[in-house]
Amino acid sequence: MTKAKENISEKIEKLKTGVDWFYSDDFKLDEASAKYKDLTTLAKEIEDDLKNLKNEIKVIEEDFSK
Amino acid sequence: MEPTQVYSVSDFQAVCNQIMETAFSGVVIEGEVASFKINQGKFVFFDLKDEQSSVGCFMMKFALRFPLEDGMKVRVRAVPKLTNWGKFSLTVQAIMPVGEGSLKKSFELLKKKLTSEGLFAPERKRPLPIPLTKIGVISSTQAAGYADFCKILNERWGGLEVQVAHTQVQGMVAADQIIRALKYFNERSEVEVIAVIRGGGSADDLAVFNDEALVRAIAASKIPVITGIGHEVDESLCDLAADVVASTPSNAAQMLTRDRKEVIANCQADVKRINNLLNTKIDELVAQNRGEIERIEQQIVVKITSMEQEVQAQIKILAQLNPENVLARGYALVTGNIDIGNVVKITTSKTEIDAKIEKISERSQK
Repeated sequence: MTKAKENISEKIEKLKTGVDWFYSDDFKLDEASAKYKDLTTLAKEIEDDLKNLKNEIKVIEEDFSK
Repeated sequence: MEPTQVYSVSDFQAVCNQIMETAFSGVVIEGEVASFKINQGKFVFFDLKDEQSSVGCFMMKFALRFPLEDGMKVRVRAVPKLTNWGKFSLTVQAIMPVGEGSLKKSFELLKKKLTSEGLFAPERKRPLPIPLTKIGVISSTQAAGYADFCKILNERWGGLEVQVAHTQVQGMVAADQIIRALKYFNERSEVEVIAVIRGGGSADDLAVFNDEALVRAIAASKIPVITGIGHEVDESLCDLAADVVASTPSNAAQMLTRDRKEVIANCQADVKRINNLLNTKIDELVAQNRGEIERIEQQIVVKITSMEQEVQAQIKILAQLNPENVLARGYALVTGNIDIGNVVKITTSKTEIDAKIEKISERSQK
């Protein structure tokens, strides 16, 4: 697994966990505002990461005709 | 006439074979199968013929990758040979059915055979281990289908490590090359899925994907295989043996990846959703507090009203005690020293009178 992919997957999972908190019994209004700001930043990071992520396509140096 | 060279029969036969091998190495011949038979379970004999001519063919059964029947049109890659008995024949290295009828017949025969072996059974299918990080691709890097696959893959997702095995994807040598590529990925790579990719083409072009050995190699792959071969309408035996079938190379790229645009939209929707939720919760809390405030306000109003009523009552009492009110009822107020001869002040509601005391007497109580 590439480093970039790990990070994006982790970030997406973190965002999901963060969103779930708002619907959970752990929700506290005095913590919600800070958490909301963090998740907004995280969502923007994910967007930027995804837009810049490139695939590495490599043709194998193996002769399959033999 | 003096001969330039004299051969023994065996030498002449060997020279002929040498010349033919050099001249026709890997010659490809197309014709119709006749007198097809398999001897001792391993030697295959048939005649290859057209309207005018016929030539005997020999091959080993393990090299027979498609079911054959008399009347089928085939293409063979072979080496011409003069046998020890002087008979001219073709030693077939590879054979493929050609033409719609033969391809269909061959397809149906092999499909029936492999189905009976359970090679296409649904319980053999494995899901793709998504999300993926390493993908093996078997395709011709010059093919349009491969370009489509890469385009969609790059559009949809990033961060993937894609290893490409460049092979031919049509013709008589393609099946063996694809089999070698499958072997390579299974034995010498860490890819999580193998995508066999080939764009659209004629039935003859796609015939390689009905090669028995290739179909078996796909079914035997330890790594899950997805096929994206031809167009939506094309079905090959490789498709049936694969774990996942995509209708086209582009569709294969779609099935292997998430859409980054969709993921971004979902993240944005999540943030918007919790923003709405947060606003709703705040509104609820404000509404709840507003109720409390209204209740307190009502209590204050009640208290004030009660106090106002009390004050009014006290005012009434005070009013009753006001000396002016007593004077207004006809009484008079006398001030000064009460002694005979003294002048005292008599105040009524409307007058003030200075009066001299002439007599003082005791008043009887009633």
